[in-house]
Amino acid sequence: MTDRVADFHVDFTRFLAPDGTAVAPLPGFFDDPTLRRLYGHMVLARAFDTKAIALQRTGRLGTYAPSLGQEAVAVAVGAAMVDTDVLVPSFREHGAQLVRGVTLQELFLFWAGDERGNDFAGPRQDFPVCIPVGSHAPHAAGVALAFKLRREARAAVCVFGDGATSKGDVYEAMNLAGAWTLPLVFVVANNQWAISVRRAHQTAARTLAQKAVAAGFAGEQVDGNDVVALCHALRQALDRARAGGGPHLIEALTYRLGDHTTADDASRYRDDEEVGRHWKEDPIARLRAHLTARGAWTRDDEEALLTDCAARVEAAARDAQALAPEPAAALFDHLYATLPPALAGQRAALVQAEADHA
Amino acid sequence: MMDDRDDAVFRLPDLGEGLQEAEIVGWHVSAGEHVVTDQPLVSVETDKAVVEVPSPHSGRIKRLCAEAGAVIPVGAPLVEFETAPAADTGTVVGEVAAAPARVRAAPAVRKLAADLGVDLAAVTATGPGGTVTGDDVRAVAATGENGGGDGDDEPLRGPRRAMAANMAAADAVRASVTDRADVESWYALDSGGQDVTERLIRAVARACAAAPALNAWYEAGRGARRLHATVDLGLAVNTDEGLFVPVLRDVANRAADDLRAGLDALKRDVRARTIPPAEMRGATITLSNFGPLGGRHAVMVIPRPQVAIVGAGRAGREPVADSAGGIAVHWLLPLSVTFDHRAVTGAEAAAFLMALKDDLERNA
Repeated sequence: MTDRVADFHVDFTRFLAPDGTAVAPLPGFFDDPTLRRLYGHMVLARAFDTKAIALQRTGRLGTYAPSLGQEAVAVAVGAAMVDTDVLVPSFREHGAQLVRGVTLQELFLFWAGDERGNDFAGPRQDFPVCIPVGSHAPHAAGVALAFKLRREARAAVCVFGDGATSKGDVYEAMNLAGAWTLPLVFVVANNQWAISVRRAHQTAARTLAQKAVAAGFAGEQVDGNDVVALCHALRQALDRARAGGGPHLIEALTYRLGDHTTADDASRYRDDEEVGRHWKEDPIARLRAHLTARGAWTRDDEEALLTDCAARVEAAARDAQALAPEPAAALFDHLYATLPPALAGQRAALVQAEADHA
Repeated sequence: MMDDRDDAVFRLPDLGEGLQEAEIVGWHVSAGEHVVTDQPLVSVETDKAVVEVPSPHSGRIKRLCAEAGAVIPVGAPLVEFETAPAADTGTVVGEVAAAPARVRAAPAVRKLAADLGVDLAAVTATGPGGTVTGDDVRAVAATGENGGGDGDDEPLRGPRRAMAANMAAADAVRASVTDRADVESWYALDSGGQDVTERLIRAVARACAAAPALNAWYEAGRGARRLHATVDLGLAVNTDEGLFVPVLRDVANRAADDLRAGLDALKRDVRARTIPPAEMRGATITLSNFGPLGGRHAVMVIPRPQVAIVGAGRAGREPVADSAGGIAVHWLLPLSVTFDHRAVTGAEAAAFLMALKDDLERNA
């Protein structure tokens, strides 16, 4: 005889339809000022994106990973967290960093290869951008473990993409988080493409959210272009985590409207028709339509916001470029509290070499 | 963050990760146009992507430095902006760049090549997009001149290394025409024969006058050719250490003894390895008189950015039909002209060859 010993389900949540209409009553805290603030953050994140690409194309930034189309995910992460939480981002979350207090100038510095861009004055305990896919998930588990050992009511948020869910680091982090009931919220920004590998080729699993089930905690899908649904799900998960309820996974269904990075040409592996379809789900247009329908947003508001964002981004880009380059020895200065002897020797040699070539 | 912004000239940045060059797909602006910061200037295609390059700042465009279809290296001028109101409005004629090293290889492959003493420029690339792979390097290392024998691999150095790099840089679409010049009269005049090289030099100069298209430079990157008023002849000189190609300047307008003196001096300098590098640059056409070493006709490598190379083979006595319908035995000098068919038509090459042959056959 056979008994069913495990069963699971995955929920999908959305409040705003692609055309901006509310498909369910919005949770109480989403008043007009809150929605306008979220909208402003998303527009600023996109303005940064546009400028960063232009700077890369003119040789003034290194490779850059745009977040076009995914602004809702990052902004919701930043908005749902409280100051004492810790963000462990991948490389498409500058929207979250901006909301949490990292400055535009610091972000430009980071993408120009300047370590001072990671040494942000803002949320000092937030982690820097992590480029190697998925490798930051175990770090996030470590952060959450520290909170638990110290009995602090704090939570960590680890963001990565659909591609990272195929990596061992992510499985290990999720397993630890489940086994030790860590205050850790995993956010999968499922933008449907791991560089040129489409989601359907990434895994046979029907959802990425269900990967949490194997690690012993719940996962859910949320409309990743609906900033309201994202904020709502994140707040619930973070409240639960801080109260000792353990980890959670949110699969945000979104779409990467731009290239993987400035070194990529997405038109080589996906067609315009597909991209065009997803533009209709643009998170920024969606919230603007909703705000306008509520009577909370006017054409003047829009113009003022765009002008303000462009001016802030321009000023930050100018300030970042005006900064004198840091010495090469800065390479060594941010990883260790005390430099190991071997690296101290290398650092001294570099300082000497730099002096010799000055 | 660096700000090495030169407002006058905007150079092609590295648009990917360690890319070497990009192809101009199309311009979105034109000379004389005023552009603003971040306005798209040009679409370029790199190994990785087609991308739009925006303007780094606002200003009026003085000149677009590359045409659509051109492949330009990272760091090459892309756009020149107006700087002062009294800017030069004359036609700007670009310099033809020296042949760049165009080898593409990953850092690990470069290290492997260095470890194995393999010159990357001499490796046949089989990787994607013409990149040299580790296997390519190992293949060269394994089949070195003494590979499989009892000696060790010998890394190319000095002139041989330079030859390998220059030959690998040659990118002409080659075609050849050949004929033989009846030089019987040379031997009829005096039994010792003339200085063949000197005679060939003068014939090349006259052939250049008849077909100027062969005395030219062509740069595929810009799709531009430049015809030269003077004939600066590159002369292939063989030495035990490798091939040298010193340049004899303005060979069309030099007196015979002046030319002979120059020729002797060059050969002496080359063999003594005292020739200044400047004297090996700037040839407009090249002559290889390989006949004394052997061989009759040859398809030769055209040094970049020249468009033609002339070869003279070993003269021999052969039967020819004389004007009376009989058979005579004459000295015949085999001639080969290899030309770059991107810049030279077959008719131009044929006209050159005929002029060359006529001049050599003339009893002067």
